[in-house]
Amino acid sequence: MTTRLTLRPISAQEHRDFIAGQSSASFLQTPAWASVKADWRSESVGWHEGDTLVGVGLVLYRQLPKVKRYLAYLPEGPVIDWAGDDLAAWLTPLVSHLKSSGAFAVRMGPPVVTRRWSAEQVKAGIADPAVRRLGDVPPLERCQEGARVVAQLHELGWQQQGTEGGFAAGQPQFNFQVPLVAEDGSPRTEADVLAGMNQLWRRNIKKADKSGVEVRRGDAGDLEAFHALYAHTAERDHFTPRPLSYFRTMVDALGAEDPDRIQLWLAHHEGDLVAATIAIRVGTHAWYSYGASSTEKREVRGSNAVQWAMIRHALEAGAAVYDLRGITETLDADDPHVGLIQFKVGTGGQAVEHAGEWDLPLNRAIYKAFQVYLARRG
Amino acid sequence: MSLTLTVDGERWRAHLLATATRSPGIVPVAKGNGYGLTLGRLARRAQWLADHAAETGAPLDLLAIGTYDELGEVTSRYHGDVLVMTPWRPFGAALALDEQAAARVVHTVSRPEDLDALRERHPSARFVLEQLTSMRRHGMTRRELEAAAHALGSARSGLRGVALHLPLGTTSHLGEVSRLVNDVVASGLPTRTIYVSHLTHAEMGQLASRYPDFTIRPRIGTDLWLGDRGALRVTATVLDVHPVERGDVFGYRGRSAPKSGHIVVVSGGTAHGIGLEAPTGDQSLRARAATLARGGMDAAGFVRSPFSIDGKQRLFAEPPHMQASMLFLPSGARTPRVGEQVDVRVRFTATDVDHVVVD
Repeated sequence: MTTRLTLRPISAQEHRDFIAGQSSASFLQTPAWASVKADWRSESVGWHEGDTLVGVGLVLYRQLPKVKRYLAYLPEGPVIDWAGDDLAAWLTPLVSHLKSSGAFAVRMGPPVVTRRWSAEQVKAGIADPAVRRLGDVPPLERCQEGARVVAQLHELGWQQQGTEGGFAAGQPQFNFQVPLVAEDGSPRTEADVLAGMNQLWRRNIKKADKSGVEVRRGDAGDLEAFHALYAHTAERDHFTPRPLSYFRTMVDALGAEDPDRIQLWLAHHEGDLVAATIAIRVGTHAWYSYGASSTEKREVRGSNAVQWAMIRHALEAGAAVYDLRGITETLDADDPHVGLIQFKVGTGGQAVEHAGEWDLPLNRAIYKAFQVYLARRG
Repeated sequence: MSLTLTVDGERWRAHLLATATRSPGIVPVAKGNGYGLTLGRLARRAQWLADHAAETGAPLDLLAIGTYDELGEVTSRYHGDVLVMTPWRPFGAALALDEQAAARVVHTVSRPEDLDALRERHPSARFVLEQLTSMRRHGMTRRELEAAAHALGSARSGLRGVALHLPLGTTSHLGEVSRLVNDVVASGLPTRTIYVSHLTHAEMGQLASRYPDFTIRPRIGTDLWLGDRGALRVTATVLDVHPVERGDVFGYRGRSAPKSGHIVVVSGGTAHGIGLEAPTGDQSLRARAATLARGGMDAAGFVRSPFSIDGKQRLFAEPPHMQASMLFLPSGARTPRVGEQVDVRVRFTATDVDHVVVD
């Protein structure tokens, strides 16, 4: 890099416009995400080369109890050119800006892939009792770009946050994705994607269709119905549901950026809501974000039907990736998390490892105290 | 009349086979004085290990040596490829290889400019790229490896892997090795073979599981050849014994005896490396205190020798001679006979024995 990069706060509009011009960025880096995370102070920042905006970041500031110091967090970001070999040129102005804004540490999640595994490899790994973690399986690919980012972050003094065991506290490092374009970049057909799924998925999609499951896109008016089913799912599967207001804010904020940014999907069978999901898309990246399903009528396979509808919609919108988000690293057949992996693996995509979340402590003492605080909170 | 290394052959060979079995992909290291056993013997033994691959399950296709000058000693006795661990430079013995030797050599390249120079001279040369570790002796940084990857391109090249020389471990090497392997991936080099040394068996296991798509090849020297110390015994011959009284003068330097006893003359002197101390590498407080204590004895004219008689280490009566040493044995101790063998504790890498006897 020959020109020096400078960084300054930018408006939400500039931020949005820049992302609109990118082929993809994480939805956690859109300015709309700031309104979803209302308990965090937020700021849009932009890198400039001369007068040209060349990168953006959404910074969430989380205040430490009782002190006016913040953890500055850029979830799945920032949106910069990660492919180069001069990360210092990008990170130095960011860090000095955040430091002057009162940050005691910076946390970010470089959106770069470090390893990939095929669905077949993951499946074989689960079946093999000697394999306990995804990392025990030889990957399809180790990505040079991701490795280069990891190497540079080490060189620049960033610390990788552990993800041993289940889900890490932050964003998941391992995700499951279905590529919607072929290796040469040409779009895949519906038939091709369907053919890539395992037999169970194909059978279930067919079964849902035959038994008369109807999937349609919902609107804000359907949010309450989604939430009721989601709360039911939470009770059944023992997780803590988010309140309806959280989803209202999310739909309003993300929907305001782009009519297709956030979509509500509903699967009905003879008038009963059997599955409902929320999907998000930024550019060519489509995510399955939240899902809910009824305990009754599982045999009509509403969940498979709604997934298939979302995949078809993503294909139609020209997406390159359908992202089912987090999986744990475990491939231990006895681990309760393995069921979730098996469900996602059935789509025939790839398990993808990202570089993970990295911290740069700016004030060692406060950072240490913060880690102790986190460890206590569990 | 000599300093002799006696090897319990059966026990030693069993240890070699066991070590190879435990270390798939093993690259035996034979360098310097051959760990006291001589280079030629180690080369023959490496060939023997290669011949027993079916038994150990560890095919042995590569022998690592220290320098180009050592090639002559090993190539006639070992028939596979030979990895020279001293990095290739565009000068010296590396340029004087005859064609036959050159065809069997795998070079170590540690500087980008050397890669160009080597490939210019020998377009078909085979080589490993050495990566810079925390040891900071020889090796390429991540960016230099990336430059090398660009220079090699995707075409078939002589690249055989990446070599790491790690410092002797005080704590686990895994963190450093993980970063170094990540750097190899980041460089885009078309290889998944890593040569390492000084990793524990457990560390090798963890690496293999963390990098199932990589071939991690251990270079093993000391733990292979000298790993079973009980199979090796170094002895000197008692050449003469003279009674002395307190005040009697003896030796090259005309010292006088501090009290009555015997001067015992044994084989083994500076020519063998006796009395020349190599740093042990042991940096513990205890080791440093021992060094200080030895210095104190030195000042008083008493220096502990590596020779022991009846299990007790004896003092040098004066500094060792070229091929023999004079020990002081105080009265009261059993006096050894002329011709008797006494034990010598040596650093194998710094000692040249006159004879190696393999039972």
